Amino acid sequence: MTTGRLDAGRRLRRLLAVLAYLAEHQSATLDQLAVRFEVPEVELIGDLQLAACCGLPPYTPDQLMEILVDETKVEARLGAELARPRRLTRDEGFALLAAARAIAAVPGADPQGALSRALDKLDTVLGRSGSVVVQLDTPPLLDDIRHACEAAQQIEIEYHSSSRDEVTARVVDPGGIFESEGHWYLDAYCHRSGGVRRFRVDRLRWMKPTGSATCHHVTSDNLVGTTGGARSGGDSDVTRGDALIGDTVRGPAAGMTFVPGPEAAVVRMAIDEGGRWLLEAVPVLGVADLDDGRKEVTIAVAGRAWFDRLLLRLGTHARVLGPPELLDAATQAAQRVIEAYAVADTS
Amino acid sequence: MSKVDRLERLTNLMLVLLGTSRPLTLRELADAVPGYPGPGDARRQAFERDKRILRDEGITIAVEPVDGPDQLGYRIRHEDYYIADLDLSPDEQVALNLAVAAVHQGEPRGREALWRLGISTPVESLVVADLPDLPALPVLHEAIRTAATVAFDYHGSTRRVEPAVMRFRGGWWYLIGYDLGHCAARTFRVDRMESLPVCGQPGSAALPEGFDADKAFADKPWLLGKDDQIEVDVLVDPIEAPLVLLELGEAAVLERRGTAGTVFRIPVTNTDALRSWVLGLGHHARVLSPPDVRAAVLEWLHAMAGYEEALR
Repeated sequence: MTTGRLDAGRRLRRLLAVLAYLAEHQSATLDQLAVRFEVPEVELIGDLQLAACCGLPPYTPDQLMEILVDETKVEARLGAELARPRRLTRDEGFALLAAARAIAAVPGADPQGALSRALDKLDTVLGRSGSVVVQLDTPPLLDDIRHACEAAQQIEIEYHSSSRDEVTARVVDPGGIFESEGHWYLDAYCHRSGGVRRFRVDRLRWMKPTGSATCHHVTSDNLVGTTGGARSGGDSDVTRGDALIGDTVRGPAAGMTFVPGPEAAVVRMAIDEGGRWLLEAVPVLGVADLDDGRKEVTIAVAGRAWFDRLLLRLGTHARVLGPPELLDAATQAAQRVIEAYAVADTS
Repeated sequence: MSKVDRLERLTNLMLVLLGTSRPLTLRELADAVPGYPGPGDARRQAFERDKRILRDEGITIAVEPVDGPDQLGYRIRHEDYYIADLDLSPDEQVALNLAVAAVHQGEPRGREALWRLGISTPVESLVVADLPDLPALPVLHEAIRTAATVAFDYHGSTRRVEPAVMRFRGGWWYLIGYDLGHCAARTFRVDRMESLPVCGQPGSAALPEGFDADKAFADKPWLLGKDDQIEVDVLVDPIEAPLVLLELGEAAVLERRGTAGTVFRIPVTNTDALRSWVLGLGHHARVLSPPDVRAAVLEWLHAMAGYEEALR
């Protein structure tokens, strides 16, 4: 992706944004600009020095952009035409609209609030009103959980873990909630397991405050849902296996880096054409071609119940190759469901 | 040529094209902007590449006929370059900044959009939502915006669609529109499109009178099929019933059977997708009726059990 062409385009985009800001404000410190435009200072200085040599023919000093860069700040006298906002590309326009729609869809957002008013204005410039709709899931306990997060209240929860297919009661210190790939998640310090855990909010059966304040701070460093680097990192004390691969039959496409938890087993499977969807549906550790046209897929499995359900959906399109103790997992899973049908038939 | 030279040439080119009141020929541009090769193919290619970069950055270069041997002239029209004033109040600007910071969608294009609107302010915010980043999305949005038909491959055939609405639900983006090949409203999963959509001419799409995108929307995989619609009854045990209720809604509940669970009646046009969904609930759910759908699920399970035995 980093061809010279893209690179030049991206730098031009950033440079024009910086120049627009300078045209309006005349001066700024380098660290201000670096933060605002998310660019290392050295690159910023290089681009600004280059821009200082740009202008109109015959490129005599009076025709060049007036930009002075010293060790800590930039001063510029630029034409007002550079300060006027430019048209958005279709990618930018869509990204902006979609982000704003998503936040406006978060339960509890004020439909008459500033964001909604901004959205109306964006709609008139960027498209047709109502052409982009974002709906977020609203599990019943979401409001209560959010309130507990904001008030830093310790809560007791009953949680149905689909990776283990068990219901457990736990006391947790809630850190924060976020929506990903269609579900809301709660990151919290779990007193039962003694670490930060992630829970799918719609799998909480009930919750009640314990009456205490939270005593463990779930910081942005061990939360996975922050704007910092944590989202892409593999912080060791976050066991994503508990809920993320256990409950989400989705890939890491949206930026969620998958790190198998310590209890995860590495499973190899052969899948045929009819099972290809697996590659998009779960985080895959490796793929190789087999001689017979099938693919050998390696995945991490944190919970047997989750894996059984996956096998049931794959049917004869998948075959477990290893480890040995899982070779007949599919047979067992199928038989268990067949038995459930049989019991129901006789009862 | 180094990248720095390229950026300098691009910046100058942009300033010259924006500053001129009449279209400039390539020869005039090459004289005015340092860094272009001498007359010939290399110069034209270099210019075409620069034009593409500017276009990708949302900067349209207008091509107009001019007198003289060169015939074509170029400039950037102000109405193509500047955005109409959005007139955002300070609190609206803050709200947009917070929204963009709080949504993770791959490339930071939302942030760049704010730069461009000149309303970017650094904000500290937790990411609260995650939207998939697909190259088709902006293309489809442009098609809706310009009322253009859109063509893409889907399930092995090329569809031509008059697009109405893009909708995000349950972790997926959908396009809802009128399928010109099937002469019916259709819902498409954007990530399942097998080719990048291609927009037709602006104004080429005219949705049928009274087209109701909300009514046409079908996001359940078992409704994205070609079969005739049937109703399938599924019994879900008390462990999974609350989640299924959340997913299907109260209207789908046929009967509550206490500790045995809840029976849901589900309209289905794709029985394979329904089977996959029911089996995804493990032994917590089973199909009650109709008999052929129930038999097909059991056959699938028996094949699975037998398959493993035969190969052992």
